Amino acid sequence: MKILIIDDEDDIRVIASMSLGLIGGVSVIEAAGGADGVSKALSEKPDVILLDMIMPDMDGADTIAALKEHPETRHIPVIFVTTRSLNSDVERMKQLGAVGVLSKPFDPTLLSSQVRAILDS
Amino acid sequence: MRLTLNLKHKGLILVAVPLLFELAFIAILTALLNESERQVYREMHSKNVIYEAGNLTRLFHDCGIAMAGYGLTKSPMFEEKYQDMIQDIPRAFDKMKRLVGDNPEQQASLRHLEDCTSRGLTLLAQAKGSIDEGSGTSGLSAVRNMYGEMKTITSEMGDELKKLTAESREIEKEGPGAQNQVRQLIKFFIVVAVVFNVLLSLWLAYFFTATIVRRLSVLTDNSWRLAKGQVLSPPLSGVDEIAHLDGVFHDMADALAEASRKERAVIENAVDVICSIDENGKFLKVSPASTNLWGLAPDELIGRNYLELIAPADLTKVEEAARAIRNGQSDTAFETTTTRQDGASVTVLWSVHWSEIEKSMFCVAHDISERKKAEEALRASEARVRTIIENMLVGLIIVDSAGNVETVNPRTEEMFGWSKDQLLGRNLMFLFPELDRSEPEKFMQTLMQKAKGRIAELEVLRKNGETFPIELSLTEFQSSEGRRLMANILDVSERREIERLKREFVSTVSHELRTPLTSIRGSLTLMSVGALGALNEQMKKVVTIAERNTIRLIGLINDILDIEKLQAGKLDMAFDNVDIRSVLERSIESVRAFADQNSVKVEASDLSAFVYADGDRLVQVVVNLLSNAIKFSEKGGSVTVAVEKENDWVTVKVIDRGRGIPAKYKDLIFERFQQVEVSDAKRKGGTGLGLTICKGIIEQHRGFIGVDSEEGQGSTFWFKVPSQAPSAAQETIHS
Repeated sequence: MKILIIDDEDDIRVIASMSLGLIGGVSVIEAAGGADGVSKALSEKPDVILLDMIMPDMDGADTIAALKEHPETRHIPVIFVTTRSLNSDVERMKQLGAVGVLSKPFDPTLLSSQVRAILDS
Repeated sequence: MRLTLNLKHKGLILVAVPLLFELAFIAILTALLNESERQVYREMHSKNVIYEAGNLTRLFHDCGIAMAGYGLTKSPMFEEKYQDMIQDIPRAFDKMKRLVGDNPEQQASLRHLEDCTSRGLTLLAQAKGSIDEGSGTSGLSAVRNMYGEMKTITSEMGDELKKLTAESREIEKEGPGAQNQVRQLIKFFIVVAVVFNVLLSLWLAYFFTATIVRRLSVLTDNSWRLAKGQVLSPPLSGVDEIAHLDGVFHDMADALAEASRKERAVIENAVDVICSIDENGKFLKVSPASTNLWGLAPDELIGRNYLELIAPADLTKVEEAARAIRNGQSDTAFETTTTRQDGASVTVLWSVHWSEIEKSMFCVAHDISERKKAEEALRASEARVRTIIENMLVGLIIVDSAGNVETVNPRTEEMFGWSKDQLLGRNLMFLFPELDRSEPEKFMQTLMQKAKGRIAELEVLRKNGETFPIELSLTEFQSSEGRRLMANILDVSERREIERLKREFVSTVSHELRTPLTSIRGSLTLMSVGALGALNEQMKKVVTIAERNTIRLIGLINDILDIEKLQAGKLDMAFDNVDIRSVLERSIESVRAFADQNSVKVEASDLSAFVYADGDRLVQVVVNLLSNAIKFSEKGGSVTVAVEKENDWVTVKVIDRGRGIPAKYKDLIFERFQQVEVSDAKRKGGTGLGLTICKGIIEQHRGFIGVDSEEGQGSTFWFKVPSQAPSAAQETIHS
């Protein structure tokens, strides 16, 4: 599985990448911002995108909107990984087109299984 | 009979009785006089009859004699006389016939007499003839021959005349006697009538006096007594007009007495002083209330000048007012300060009426001291209220039932940017852009639904076109002008801004804290699971410590954020029908490791009971209560979770056998950062926020939470939540 992580925090990208690598069969692509993320999504065609909500310049909402605009990336499931965990935030993110929301801080040992659970559901 | 006669009848009696008597008297007298006349006429008639009878006799006799003379002398004188006689005799018979009238007996006699006379005259005529024919002696022999027959005839005539005049002679004989009798009768009658008249007059006089004069006199006397206010004589008997009038006088007297009694009662019992003052200012009469008002009894005031009671400062005013009232130039009421006997001041309202007839003032003095005090207090209170309203930080608008602005305070002007004059008279709806403003009535209904008796958050419009948030509460009240509404308006822009900033801050802080914690926690977990390579025991220990505390820090941040959300009423809740059994199962699963670590057994009821709740939040509560129970149980101890269903409520109890909670802490422990012992945070862990969050969560479920505990006996933490969703009314009240 190819997973694209879009987060402006370098450390979180590293941790997430390492967390996802705990289970084999996963390759991780990193993007440091929304624009970079869209570009990498178009070029790499990941199986799933883990997207941060709060980013400078192009936030998660704009990024997902851009992804949905492109026919090549429209179908890629997007999971928000965010500190925003209110029900209203979750609803909003789902309305934007996300298939799931994971909270930060996350348990690295569970990240992979949580992603799979969302994709399976 | 006298008792049932009215004046008309009595008058009639007084007039009719004498009249009738007079008429009777006249009638009888007339009858008697007629009788007397008749008697006289009868006598006269009789006399005439007798006279005419005699005349007739004489005539016949004279006729015979004349014939005899003629027979003897053949003198023309005797013949002439004879002829005259012959002429006179029928005339005499005519007279007689007229005299006898219809008397049949006399008529018969007269006829016989006439017959005899006729025979006699025939005889005389024969004799005359003989005389005229014969010589000197033949005439004489004729007369001698006729004499015997003539004598018979004369005798017959004489008898007949006797018969004819018998009645008349009788009458003539009786006449004077009868007339005298009648005269006597008349005299007697006149005497009787006079006597009767006198008696009648006396009786009528008595009657008049008794039934009218005397009664009128009583009436006059009663009218005089009524005027003087004296007791009237007893009521007159009878049903005539005088008795009726007397009855009216008695009624008037009774009414006046009653009115006088009531007037006296009013005056005697009035709280106000009722008095009369002469033109010199002296009290003439004073009611007993003066004792209360001025400490002076009426008899202490009578004769004194009323100005002695007036406070010196008001003397001039009072004198002028009294003068003006006497001249009819002024209102009849004025206020003054008066001085009591004990020196205290009393404010009095005088109501005065000047009587020109009696040359005195009739006054009512009303103590208005209390009223003045109340007015003063009211003025002060109004001033206070006005100050408060003018200075309050909450906007105040009073509208009529249609929503038209009647009053605004300065804060309202400041808030909306409109001046008072610009607001007065306008409908409130122009300030509320987000409500239906198509009809004032509809607008007011909507506003009332939202804000009457509660606080509604609304957006309103400033003069400059900006909208800003307010909290509005409407209160309905009745005024003298009708139903009114008072709107209390609080500009919550600043508060909203603060809340927004706070939320932003919290959100930002939350993000800023969680972001690095994600890296820290992630790093530590990866290290502890050996994802970055095996760690030696010490490194593992240290990493585990760091990881554990990082997780604790994350929990604290979550708790603090939850508290903030609870305070703002913004804690996420997703309500549904939830089986409490599944909540307990999940909760116990969550704390199983912790319980095992502390060697505490957890037992739970497997009762199924549905509640209307956010399952995850209830798990949060139960986990928190279980964690506490485990934390404060002895090793080897047990914690029990029980479920009870009652009506529309489900109660969950978490029972431990730990140290218990002193009574004074039972309510405090639900407050923030409160723990029974300060050292608990260190020894047992925990931030002191858990129970606060549990309370907030349960309260958001419209439930209740509490603890039953005794020191040394363990504790039972319980909460109860509704088993069903709230009704629409409950929803409205809650919101």
